[in-house]
Amino acid sequence: MDLLLQQTVNAFALGGTYALLALGLAVVFSIMGLINFAHGELMTIAGYTLMYCGIAGVSFMLAVPLAIAMAMIAAVLMERIAFRPVRNSSGATMLVTSFAVSMILQVLFQNLISTRSQAVILPAILSQSVTIGGLVIGVNKIAAIVATIVMLIFLDIFMKRQKTGIAMRAAAEDFNIARLMGIRANTVIAGAFALSGMLAGVAAVLWVSQRSSVDPHMGFLPVVKAFIAAILGGLGSLRGAVAGGFLLGFIEIYLAAFLPPGLQEFRDPIGLSIVVAILLFRPNGLIPAASLKSEKV
Amino acid sequence: MASLLSVQSLAVSYGPIEAVRGVDFDIQKGEIVAFLGANGAGKSSTLNALVGLVPVASGTVSFKGEDITDWAPENLAPAGLTLSPEGRRVFGALSVAENLRMGAFSIKDKVALEAAWERVYTLFPILHERRDQFAGTLSGGQQQMLAVGRALMSNPSLLLLDEPSLGLAPKIVGQIFDLIALLRDQGVTLALVEQNVSMALEIADRGYVLASGKIVASGPAAELARSEALKSAYLGGE
Amino acid sequence: MKKTLLASTMVVAAALAGPVSAEALKIGLATAQTGGLAGYDGPVIEGLHIAVDEINAAGGINGKIMIELIEKDVRSDAAQTAIAVQELADEGVSVLVLPCDADPSLAAIGTVTTAQIPAISTCASSPTLPMIGGDYMFANFPGDNVQATVSAEWAWAQGHKSAYIIYSPDTQYTTMPLYFADVFSALGGTMMGQDTHTIGQQDFSAIATRIAALNPQPDVIMTSSYEPDFPSMLKALRAAGVTAQVIGSDGIDSPTTFSLGDVGEGVVFSTAGHATEGSPLADFNAKYEAVTGNASETVFNAVGYDLVVVVAEAVKAAGGSTDPVAIRDAMAELENVRGATSLITYKGTNGMPVREVTLIRVKNGARELVGQPSPTASLIPPARMQ
Repeated sequence: MDLLLQQTVNAFALGGTYALLALGLAVVFSIMGLINFAHGELMTIAGYTLMYCGIAGVSFMLAVPLAIAMAMIAAVLMERIAFRPVRNSSGATMLVTSFAVSMILQVLFQNLISTRSQAVILPAILSQSVTIGGLVIGVNKIAAIVATIVMLIFLDIFMKRQKTGIAMRAAAEDFNIARLMGIRANTVIAGAFALSGMLAGVAAVLWVSQRSSVDPHMGFLPVVKAFIAAILGGLGSLRGAVAGGFLLGFIEIYLAAFLPPGLQEFRDPIGLSIVVAILLFRPNGLIPAASLKSEKV
Repeated sequence: MASLLSVQSLAVSYGPIEAVRGVDFDIQKGEIVAFLGANGAGKSSTLNALVGLVPVASGTVSFKGEDITDWAPENLAPAGLTLSPEGRRVFGALSVAENLRMGAFSIKDKVALEAAWERVYTLFPILHERRDQFAGTLSGGQQQMLAVGRALMSNPSLLLLDEPSLGLAPKIVGQIFDLIALLRDQGVTLALVEQNVSMALEIADRGYVLASGKIVASGPAAELARSEALKSAYLGGE
Repeated sequence: MKKTLLASTMVVAAALAGPVSAEALKIGLATAQTGGLAGYDGPVIEGLHIAVDEINAAGGINGKIMIELIEKDVRSDAAQTAIAVQELADEGVSVLVLPCDADPSLAAIGTVTTAQIPAISTCASSPTLPMIGGDYMFANFPGDNVQATVSAEWAWAQGHKSAYIIYSPDTQYTTMPLYFADVFSALGGTMMGQDTHTIGQQDFSAIATRIAALNPQPDVIMTSSYEPDFPSMLKALRAAGVTAQVIGSDGIDSPTTFSLGDVGEGVVFSTAGHATEGSPLADFNAKYEAVTGNASETVFNAVGYDLVVVVAEAVKAAGGSTDPVAIRDAMAELENVRGATSLITYKGTNGMPVREVTLIRVKNGARELVGQPSPTASLIPPARMQ
């Protein structure tokens, strides 16, 4: 029983990080139909910011908001420089553009920073753990869960109470009609990228606090996980992204925790098979987007 | 006095297909103008081109004396021109109030915003009653009211209505036309695309009949109602 | 008749090849400048350049054979490695240098064998590489089975009786713990279980939780996972309350391991060398700092230096020949070549060199030498295919 509870806490922490990642992809996809594979590089940028802050002796409490801000700025620049010129192109063109952005950034990291993994200095407290009701919980797990909850509440308020947030939801559902209301395409899309950068930044802090290092390819794996989670939840649906992220986290942790030893080697294929099975029954994902067919800008 | 809206040689193409092939018309302040014609005649394409939803292939559109031909859609609502689109296209995942709030997106002034809420909720008490409900869960008639109400939130001086009665029960259609008359009385200029020819001509001041992307007849509504051109337009001749 | 013709053609070919390349030794580098392996190949190539520059500045091997490097980026990709190797073979290189990982190196086997050019992996340590690769494939690092034997013998000598391994079936290298388990069991230790992970797996909390629930706890946890997996794994284990001795391998000989704070303290790992004062490695590190202006952060720099030392010795032993076959034959007979990291011997092996293994402990965020023990030969498990 304790073991189950303990693993559930693990699942929430991992699922929460996946949810933030998937949300970052979904925010942009819902508005412009772009799956931004360079989302992972936003994380890498946040990771390098943490690294340089550590070297410069900037306190972690200050480094975290700086890292998140850098990811946001990078996201907005990415939109302005790379994606705006192809905004009205086909989904395939935008997808290829995002791959290109991702690769260019990786090469820049390699050439300007280092091909090698760089250590990130983290406060010792992140490696410690606390005992709550017999459960041993790592501080970084608590941080992941708290950060996820805070971000989800923030997003909920932003999307429901803020004029820009409502406009983003409207644009996600029917961009042309939203523009008729006077909602500016540039504003909404830049806003979506800033938001996705923020989510990438938060996720990056959580990600790096586990691995303690950053390398040019750090972003690849998380963006793949985010993509799976977003598809699982329903591509373009924000609630779906959250649900997909948590479900993926639970699948991975429970399989790692409870599959018999002989099958552990096949954990990932089994996990992906479960994802495929879910999609067979719910082809549009757990919580499909409001406007699967509506035109994208 | 100059026209509120004036259109010269407007053409719209979708790839090789020419949907609108050089139409000229104008709309005066305070009138209701009906656009009639069979499916595919180019009525909706014309309205969509006016608000920038589809690109103008050639021709010019001027509104309040300004050339708006190449304006992006988001700049038209602040200028006083908006469209209630065909098929209503309310934001189903947003609440009724959020839909209306988006309609007023370009209004920055608080007093004007309050007035817009007041006006729309007075016109459509049902929308006030259901303000927290998801728009997607409204009935067809209520969604149409929301679509019109959303357009009105921007305080337009010219409101384009694309098929406001489509798919509605006859009783609701009557309500919609009553509303159109009421809006005219409030000083809103209206352009109306309608399948319901008789009701449209009953309420309109003037009309244009389109066939295959061209205007084939125009004139005061009462005259048009009797014209042969109208009949042949609906029978598919040119 | 046919035979004679063939033989004479070969003689002519050899005669033509001889004088042309007498003054220069072309070494073709088909290594990763980009992609996931770039972080491993990079430091090795850096050290390799230092050795080449040093030899050329002194007038070349034997004072006359200059070394010429031809570099191609294989982007950490197996297919790209095969292509690059073919191109280099066409350019007539005498020696090939392949990526750090056994898998892309194995992709080049066909070309290497057909072209009969000796090939050395920068730092692959899988003993299967030369085994599968054949006569022309050489490694440049203590083998996984040798490293595992050294760490298992050390753990046993410390009085540890039980062990748990965490490995990844994704590459040859990350299965080193399986060798460890063989040796530790042979010594009389108890294997309490094993876990697998995928390379790049972010989260080790499920595995850590399961290990934390074991009663009794294992004395030792052995893994050959490296960044970014190793820090995540170690943190998860410690956060879950697991206090067992953690033993790693050369893959974690990187700055990150020494910057983990309390979590990293006490970790022991096997690697290729240690710079004690006055040692050849310390000399190399001084040289490295003089050339680059930075302190060497990893032993892989020296490993690259040693690669060129080995090639130069082979050329000398071949009587100054730059003929690939002659170099290969000479290299296979090299014995006790003094490199920066170790004495290096290929004689009597299948291409997996006999080199010292060093055990390092992380102490106060720095490296502490545990020892450089020689493994008991009879305990070294045979190379296995995973």
